[in-house]
Amino acid sequence: MYVEFLGIPRERVGLTELHVQACSLGELLGTLAARFPAFTELLTADGLHPSIAANLNGDEFVRDPDTVLAEHDHLLILSADAGG
Amino acid sequence: MPPGYHGCYLRIDLSVGRAERVSLSDTVLRQYLGGSGLGAALLLEEGAAAADPLSPEAPLVFAFSPLVGSPLTTSAKFAVVSRSPLTGRFNDSLASSGFAIAGKRCGCDAIVIVGRADAFSVLVVDDGEARLEPAEDHRGEACPVAEEKLRLRLGADFRIASIGPAGERAVRYATISHDGRHAGRGGSGAVLGSKNLKALAVRGSRRCEWARPDELIELSRDLSRRSFGPATAKYRELGTATNLLTFNRFGTLPTRNFQSGTFEDAARLSPEQLSAGRPRTRASCVACTIGCEHIYPLGDSGVRIEYESLFALGSLCGVSDGDAVLRATRRCDELGIDTISTGGTIAFAMECVERGLLDEPWLRFGSGDAVLKAIELIGAREGLGNLLADGSRRAASAIGRGSIAFAPQVKGLEIPGYEPRALQTMALGFAVGARGADHNRSGAYEVDFSNKVNRRHATLESVRHAIETEDRAALMDSLILCKFLRGVFTDFYGETAAMLRAVTGWDVTGDELRETARRIVAAKRRINVLAGWTLEEDTLPDRFLDTPLPTDPGAVLTRERLQALVAEYHRQRGWDARGQ
Repeated sequence: MYVEFLGIPRERVGLTELHVQACSLGELLGTLAARFPAFTELLTADGLHPSIAANLNGDEFVRDPDTVLAEHDHLLILSADAGG
Repeated sequence: MPPGYHGCYLRIDLSVGRAERVSLSDTVLRQYLGGSGLGAALLLEEGAAAADPLSPEAPLVFAFSPLVGSPLTTSAKFAVVSRSPLTGRFNDSLASSGFAIAGKRCGCDAIVIVGRADAFSVLVVDDGEARLEPAEDHRGEACPVAEEKLRLRLGADFRIASIGPAGERAVRYATISHDGRHAGRGGSGAVLGSKNLKALAVRGSRRCEWARPDELIELSRDLSRRSFGPATAKYRELGTATNLLTFNRFGTLPTRNFQSGTFEDAARLSPEQLSAGRPRTRASCVACTIGCEHIYPLGDSGVRIEYESLFALGSLCGVSDGDAVLRATRRCDELGIDTISTGGTIAFAMECVERGLLDEPWLRFGSGDAVLKAIELIGAREGLGNLLADGSRRAASAIGRGSIAFAPQVKGLEIPGYEPRALQTMALGFAVGARGADHNRSGAYEVDFSNKVNRRHATLESVRHAIETEDRAALMDSLILCKFLRGVFTDFYGETAAMLRAVTGWDVTGDELRETARRIVAAKRRINVLAGWTLEEDTLPDRFLDTPLPTDPGAVLTRERLQALVAEYHRQRGWDARGQ
């Protein structure tokens, strides 16, 4: 699947995008944490830190680690807070 | 008088040259706290709704808060509250830094200014004693220049809130500036100018006691520690300008006067591009541990830029020249005008030119030079600038020919950088906002960027989320704490109640603060009702209704659905079918 990073997640990963194999959101986050140690500060025991959001295919925002991901999915991981 | 307060406000009548201390009861303080809430209560007390916002009778309130001067991070903020000359409705605009601390040390919880000085003046409040000093030498000075010269003249320990040339000329979205920050929205600078004042200068030595200082210090340490964590990392490391690419990616970046939700040249306005080859620096307000200000170099100085300025003077006007946007932002700061209303009004005029409704061929989308020229004309109220200085709603009334349908405003206040058709909980927040369309009074965009709602199809379920963000904002603006802290709380009402208990000694609970927030929102609405508000004002311009966002055909907000959302909002607020 295709993962795109915006905001602080982009800073922590150091990439704008990445192809990853993962069957669920939880598995994806685990893979990213293993590969990019700085990414772990954006995680809690339950998954994404509340300040971080994940959007699936431009439509739905997802947080549940059990969210099923498919090979052709496109996930955006971004800073959730806006404003200014 | 509870700890954390002085128990009075200073009421200054410029017309008769009188200053008096007026007691504030414990009940009023506990019910309205400070900042926006206390300002609203004082406007009601003063009968502000009956006075034209630019008339001598109209009160202008500088409201402090119980947390100002405490060690709680981000608490050095003040609210400027009045009726808005742009909307005719309630207006509260907040700014940060040393003025809040110095103002509260004058020995009052608010300064209320009515009347009009005989001559162009600076109002000096020195440890609670008020006097007028001549300001003719400062006429026409840019905000930072006036502030610097006044401190040289009065003393370095004075803190100054001043207007620029735009406030002197009653531009209806003129700001009040302090230390590079602005009480920005709704035209409070024009209100100060209408009182024949260039500035308010404050200095004081009167500190408030805290009920439980050890507890307060411990709470402050904990809050500061959390303010360094991931919840504020975006503001600290990237600044709000980083929103631009995110919003563009989601198709929610207002572009060319809301004709598009994406801007093909957005990457040219990214923080990375704006600071390419010239590293940006960071700064903080007084008593803040977040440090959200990102200063971009321009010439031999720097420009602080936020997302709202970047979108309003950039994508909204179709401008992709980063230097032009930085120059435009700096010029707005110097003249003392709100960048959102400035950009919104110019973008509206650009569309009028595009449609053949205005004969100003130089004013084209995409031209940074045109934006800069328009800003100069607005600041001087010259030529077309005299029309644009009154905001997009009044300009549309003058231009006519259906242009009000695409004037980007609610209640006269220009819409900030959130595309309402693709962010429909935010659309409701804009529609019902007491001061008009504003992202600082409704944080409903956060709900749209979550799994709680379908952002392209708001339902009645969205309403309670919109109310929750509005209530939270009302409380933060009254305590006062910076909204960039909001992500650090796990129990917002409970934790802020603990802070208030430590400062005041009140046995206040989180549940009480929920009620306080609702009371403050209702007070703002009450002022609007008294000032002539009608149900028809709680809506969006025709552009946003029944027609899809051209760049996102799935983003449609029907008039019927918005009306249902507004009606449900009124019902959940406990207001009648007329929203009262």
